[in-house]
Amino acid sequence: MTTIRPVFGYLGAILLVVLASLLCAAVHPYLAPTNMVMIFLLAVVLAATRLGLKPAILTALLSVVAFDLFFVPPRFSLRVEDTEYLITFFALFVVGVVISTLVARLGRQVAQVQRQEARTSCLYHLTRDLAGALDDNAVVEALRRAVDATLHADLRVVLYRDGVAVPLPSGGQRPSDDTDQPTIAWVIRSGRHAGAGTAAFADADATYLPIKSGGATIGVMVAAAGQAALRENRQLLDAFAAQAAMAFERVQLARDAEETRVLREKSHLEQALLNSISHDLRTPLVTIAGALDTLLAEDCPLGPAKRRELTITALDEASRLNRFVSNLLDMTRLEAGALTLRPEPCEIDELIGCAIGAVESRLGGRRIDTSLAPGLPPVTIDLPLLTQALVNLLDNALRYSPPTFPLTVSAHCSHQTVFIEVQDRGPGIPAGEEERIFDRFYRVAVPEQSGGTGLGLCIAKGIVEAHQGNITAANSTAGGLRVTLSLPAATPETLEEEA
Amino acid sequence: MPEQNNPFRLLIVDDELAIRRFLTTILEDECSLHLAEGGHAALAAAAAVKPDLILLDLGLPDLDGIEVIRRIREWSSVPIIVISVRERETDKVAALDAGADDYLAKPFGVGELKARIRAALRRALQQTPEPLFVSGDLTVDLTARQVTRQGGAITLTPTEYDILRLLVTHAGKVLTHSQILKQVWGIAYLEQPHLLRVNISNLRRKIEEDSSHPQHIITEPGVGYRLK
Repeated sequence: MTTIRPVFGYLGAILLVVLASLLCAAVHPYLAPTNMVMIFLLAVVLAATRLGLKPAILTALLSVVAFDLFFVPPRFSLRVEDTEYLITFFALFVVGVVISTLVARLGRQVAQVQRQEARTSCLYHLTRDLAGALDDNAVVEALRRAVDATLHADLRVVLYRDGVAVPLPSGGQRPSDDTDQPTIAWVIRSGRHAGAGTAAFADADATYLPIKSGGATIGVMVAAAGQAALRENRQLLDAFAAQAAMAFERVQLARDAEETRVLREKSHLEQALLNSISHDLRTPLVTIAGALDTLLAEDCPLGPAKRRELTITALDEASRLNRFVSNLLDMTRLEAGALTLRPEPCEIDELIGCAIGAVESRLGGRRIDTSLAPGLPPVTIDLPLLTQALVNLLDNALRYSPPTFPLTVSAHCSHQTVFIEVQDRGPGIPAGEEERIFDRFYRVAVPEQSGGTGLGLCIAKGIVEAHQGNITAANSTAGGLRVTLSLPAATPETLEEEA
Repeated sequence: MPEQNNPFRLLIVDDELAIRRFLTTILEDECSLHLAEGGHAALAAAAAVKPDLILLDLGLPDLDGIEVIRRIREWSSVPIIVISVRERETDKVAALDAGADDYLAKPFGVGELKARIRAALRRALQQTPEPLFVSGDLTVDLTARQVTRQGGAITLTPTEYDILRLLVTHAGKVLTHSQILKQVWGIAYLEQPHLLRVNISNLRRKIEEDSSHPQHIITEPGVGYRLK
């Protein structure tokens, strides 16, 4: 029902009576005065439907006066000749009031039904939105939309998981200050309503509703006072809270399931890791201990050449063991998240120079050709870590390609991304394994023992990805494996920031 | 061991018996050896023996190796070579900034260790640097402030020359970023590493044939620079 300002309602009532009077004046010659009452009743009905209860009653009253004044003889006087007209006046007034009351009640009921309708549809929409909500924030967003649509109130949600408040986006204009902490704590403890419109903390400027799940209060909905504080809206808000509780519970369950899955996967991996470690650590030790034992033996039957060969083998195995331990340490740091990047702008040629410098002693006369596009932008990286990544790529290329062929390291830039490629002339990788070579302990099956740890590329991938970069491998058309790592170029802003 | 037969005194500080025994075996023929198991013993021995060089492990049971370096540096400039299993760059920088001359990560080769010892002793003996530095195709004449590559003169900005001169006077030794910044720009510029990065990049472009294969200015990632 449209609400009209009272003064306009009363003015409308007067206008209606004037119009009815004019109409009656027009038909006066043809109509008996008693029948004009119908025209005035019409005015009352119109007032009741359009203007509301009180203007309608005013209309009835004025109608009686106008009828008496203008149409009941003697005309233009309040005196009545025929006392029968008093009954007509009384009937006109009473019927007018009764009609007004009935019409007004009907209007209220229609409005009530419409409001109920709106709420039901809002609850329906909320349920639908919540079903699609995948995390806490989406649940809160859906709730806020629903409360805003029905009660035009701002909403804030405080959520507790395992006794710790979960950070959620703070709601609208309401400052997320901590002044209402005691109220929230009380609601959590008692599981009852608080704030405006309730018995507890009634002077607050918001209404606090518990979100209950499985008997425990897991959160609080804080709705800005206003419509939300009205008793008639409490049920709706409680319904919202109940829906929200279910949604939060579902989000929690989904997260628990995911955690369980990750844990299970992790324990599989750890088993594989342990198996591999025990193998990779023991094998070199067997060789070293065996060699030393043989050399120490009093009756060693070996000639000087054999002894030297044995010593060299032991030394090689020791360095392999050292490499493996270093890789394991890097790997552990990467996975334990103990890797703190200390990124600084760095030129590409410096990075490549560092990596080549680090493998120089292992090159044994092999060549590494470099081809760098001119004008490469700097990259913001942790130089020691990225050097390690590139060294691992070079090591891999050196190990899996024949010693007579050179390696190629090239770099170019496109679309604000710097690409660094390490290309060898080895056998490449079996088709379909391009992704797997970055897995832990993956080794390409090659006839001769290559002495790789199966960790180098995995570590390189971890380091590059920690830099928002990417690493891919493919067999190159020219033969051999090409590993490409890409890094975002340093933007002028990041360089300025540093300066 | 009669001291006069040995050219120099060496103090080895390491809490691992196996490492001390190993180092003793490989070094005892070349110098007079003194051993210390902990930081306080090391400080006492450094004062009593006045060694010509100290090999120092960082992970000592009683006193951190960095602290040992700092205390020795309060009164002595004896060359200190750190030997440590800690291979993180921050540890290297901390040791070098505290005053260590060199850093060798365990495990190391015997040849490598002996070379580092020789280089440190040579630098310590050489009070004033050679006025003429020659390495490969690069010549730096410190008296004439002249730099030539393959016989051709190279023009450097004053800052570039200052960096190069600093590296030349510490040839073979790693200088940390903050050491270079402090010496070339002054202590107020310690937090401005981009100055160093840009100047080194320019310097390389002028004196290196291929900056991705530097032959002279070597980057020690995360630590500093070293002139080869």
